[in-house]
Amino acid sequence: MTETPYRKPGCRAAGPGRTCRMAMLLLFPVLLLGGCGDGGDPAVRALQGLPEFCREVLPRVQAHQATLTQPSGERFGGTAVVGAVGEMADGINAFSLADYTSAQHQTFLNLMTLVRLDESLGFQPYLARSWEFSPDGSEVTFHLRDDVRWHDGEPTTAHDVAFTFLRATDPGTAFPNAAFWSRYREGDEGVEVLDDHTIRFRFQPHAEVLDTWRAMPIMPRHLLEDVAPADLRSHPFGIRCPVGNGPFVFQERRPGQSWSFVRNPEFPEALGGPPYLDRYIFRVIPEQSTLLAELLTGGVDLYVAPTPDQALRIQEEEGLRLLDFDFRSYVFVAWNSRRPQLADPRVRRALTMGINRQEILDGLLMGFGTVADAGVPPFHWAHDPEAGGRVAYDPEGAAALLDEAGWRLEDGGSVRTDAQGNRLEISVKYNTGNQQRQDVAEVMQAQLSRIGVAIRPEVLEWATLVEQINDPVRRDFDGVVLGWVTEFRVDDRDLFHSSGVDQPFHWSGIQDPELDLLLDSLQVVMDREAARPLWQRYQERAVELQPLTYFFYPRRLAGVNERVEGVRMDVRGEWVTVAEWWIPEAARGSPGEG
Amino acid sequence: MAVFLLRRLLLAIPMVLGVATLVFLVLEVAPGDATARYAAPGVAPEALEQMRRNMGLDRPAGERYLRWMGAMLRGDFGVSLSRNEPVREVLAQTLPNTLLLSATALILAFGGGILLGTLQAVRAGGVVDRGISITTLLFYSMPSFWLALMLILVFSVQARNVWDWPFWFPASGMVSLDHGFLGSREQILDRIRHLTLPSVSLALVLAAGIARYMRASLLEVLSLDWVRTARAKGIPEWRVVVEHAMRNALGPVATLFGLYLPVLFSGTVVIETVFAWPGMGKLMVDSIFQRDTPVVLAAAFLFALLVIVGNLVADLLHALLDPRIRPAARAR
Repeated sequence: MTETPYRKPGCRAAGPGRTCRMAMLLLFPVLLLGGCGDGGDPAVRALQGLPEFCREVLPRVQAHQATLTQPSGERFGGTAVVGAVGEMADGINAFSLADYTSAQHQTFLNLMTLVRLDESLGFQPYLARSWEFSPDGSEVTFHLRDDVRWHDGEPTTAHDVAFTFLRATDPGTAFPNAAFWSRYREGDEGVEVLDDHTIRFRFQPHAEVLDTWRAMPIMPRHLLEDVAPADLRSHPFGIRCPVGNGPFVFQERRPGQSWSFVRNPEFPEALGGPPYLDRYIFRVIPEQSTLLAELLTGGVDLYVAPTPDQALRIQEEEGLRLLDFDFRSYVFVAWNSRRPQLADPRVRRALTMGINRQEILDGLLMGFGTVADAGVPPFHWAHDPEAGGRVAYDPEGAAALLDEAGWRLEDGGSVRTDAQGNRLEISVKYNTGNQQRQDVAEVMQAQLSRIGVAIRPEVLEWATLVEQINDPVRRDFDGVVLGWVTEFRVDDRDLFHSSGVDQPFHWSGIQDPELDLLLDSLQVVMDREAARPLWQRYQERAVELQPLTYFFYPRRLAGVNERVEGVRMDVRGEWVTVAEWWIPEAARGSPGEG
Repeated sequence: MAVFLLRRLLLAIPMVLGVATLVFLVLEVAPGDATARYAAPGVAPEALEQMRRNMGLDRPAGERYLRWMGAMLRGDFGVSLSRNEPVREVLAQTLPNTLLLSATALILAFGGGILLGTLQAVRAGGVVDRGISITTLLFYSMPSFWLALMLILVFSVQARNVWDWPFWFPASGMVSLDHGFLGSREQILDRIRHLTLPSVSLALVLAAGIARYMRASLLEVLSLDWVRTARAKGIPEWRVVVEHAMRNALGPVATLFGLYLPVLFSGTVVIETVFAWPGMGKLMVDSIFQRDTPVVLAAAFLFALLVIVGNLVADLLHALLDPRIRPAARAR
């Protein structure tokens, strides 16, 4: 007699089974750890589980790249790792162009545009070595380089450019930026391939023709010609196996984790030649605190867009440096002038005058930015810093304007009322997940309450907010905090032109003949000296009407590990000099280990 | 037993379909669609309209639902609207990562929790018991987001940069960038290094809860008459606890397994974001915000399936541990 009888049978029956089960449970992660097929040669691994298109295309790229001689020199070598919060959602598919990071990788790493910008934002040759306009300004002829090849060895020709134009303007493609070419003649009428390296476009004369060809990367005709336009957006080319012609060749993408590119050894010397880095890696790290930790521990060399308070920390840290540079974005509140309390421009002006924007800028952005007064950011040649003098912070002036507009403060009251007894109450909506916009709304609430305006901040999830403010019938908002990245070519017609009052982005609903005239002229006056007074007046008129309260133009920030040299950034973007980044040999180490 | 299993599995079918249908309805009612992220000044409404047609979003909801259901029953989850690739691919890229993370966390949580709870019960009222009680209560009430960031601060940033420890843990990612060039042993070590912080931050919170359950359950068992009998027979104390009492105390803890699965999956949403772990939790949240219906539906479907299977496993475990349950199931 050894043990109690009631326990024994249970133990025997369960014993082996339990052991096995436990063993399986314990082994399960080990099986996953070892069995994910993440090892081995990256080139072979990259082909596993890829769509047929990619399995055909990638080996051709590898075969061609293997025939090329790598450059040698002191600066050549090493791997740089860039970390950012957002995934490159559109990858290298120029027909789906939407997010900033994808666009940057398209234009500066993997693909090429016809022209590019120099530091002073003048147009420089890139894929096109020269161009000329017809005397009446209705045609442009580009002469392309003849030494640029796609990464699979096929030459890049005028047929690729024509293909890109025809697909991007095909309604079936649903290319979001098709409006680039709204003044072009349609389809084959608009484009003529004169020979393999010469192409001509026809259009109604308009300003900033070249900017379109700065923004739109050229796509390879020989790979995508047979794809139906409607399928281009979701074609595997974009995120599984892009084949470009730029300084970096696509190597591998780990979904949700990273993209790797390697040097293109045959990138033309005249355009800067092959990049110094052996390898460039883009890592997605969705949480900003983690990204900072990775920058501090050498997991990434470059942190794109840290928060302003993180930027202060980066500045203090040895071995890191902070870059801050002009950007194309601004933060604003759009006022719905269809609402009776916001119909009077004096009220909208008073709202702007009642907000201490400099204080908000210093508090929220740690001073990394400048107060905005009209939507022409500081990078733009026609930016007028004086436009701000007319809406400086002035609570007394604001109160007087409100009195004049009929909104008076009763003795002892806290909210202004009009003659009919309506209270000056304004709801301001913003979207979840954006601390900066929430802060803006709340500081506004505090500051405007001092002049008798009751602001009610309301938070909504993004897609819901977009539907409430963009639906031309609903326009269910008084004010809304928004922010965005403008194009280099500022075009506010969708925001303010009265012809678009029933279009989604005409949030303010203001209609002003002078503004219409200015907006139209700005798009067609090609000479900058002739256009300057128009831009000047446009900014003044925007200040007078105050359809939006412009808050600030934030500066763009980046944290960089000092081991990477040659990193320069400006309004053109973080990646503008990526081909010139280099790492001194002593600092190279193994990738990702700093 | 087989009949019991079969019944449970058959019951799971309407449940999973019900969950998917409910999710579809909720997404249908939510404003906005997958083209919202393209909407910006300069983008023509016609382009967005065409995009909707290309995505099939112009069809009536009923038609889309039936099409989706039909395709799904044939194993086709459709194409993701925000990621430009088939949903099957998207899930294949993320599901194994989430399973690896949550399975590791589960093992750590139950292993650690049971061990701690047992220690506490054996030393009930003593210093060890109180010390563990306070510590587990602390972890139990900690937001996992904050805990994760603290772990990164201590075991990644401070350990490497300030204290110069010989070992430190990477703050994010699943593998090092040079993973492909490592030997196979180094590869497994590399994976374990990356897995440590995320799985520990998930497990700590759960383990704290499990320890409390284990302590209570074991204390109750230890006070029963047959334990006194066992002790009276002169069986060494550790055998009384480990072989006799623990086995009986584990029953209630096993049911926690089923309860904690959904908690674990919702926990991965936060942990995957903090540690840049490319898993289903983050995928699900991103897809909801982008109104990527096909991905959300497929992910909800899989999560529902996992939870149902997890509950089934919990029931089986319970039955294995407690003989009184088994005959009842067998009798049917």
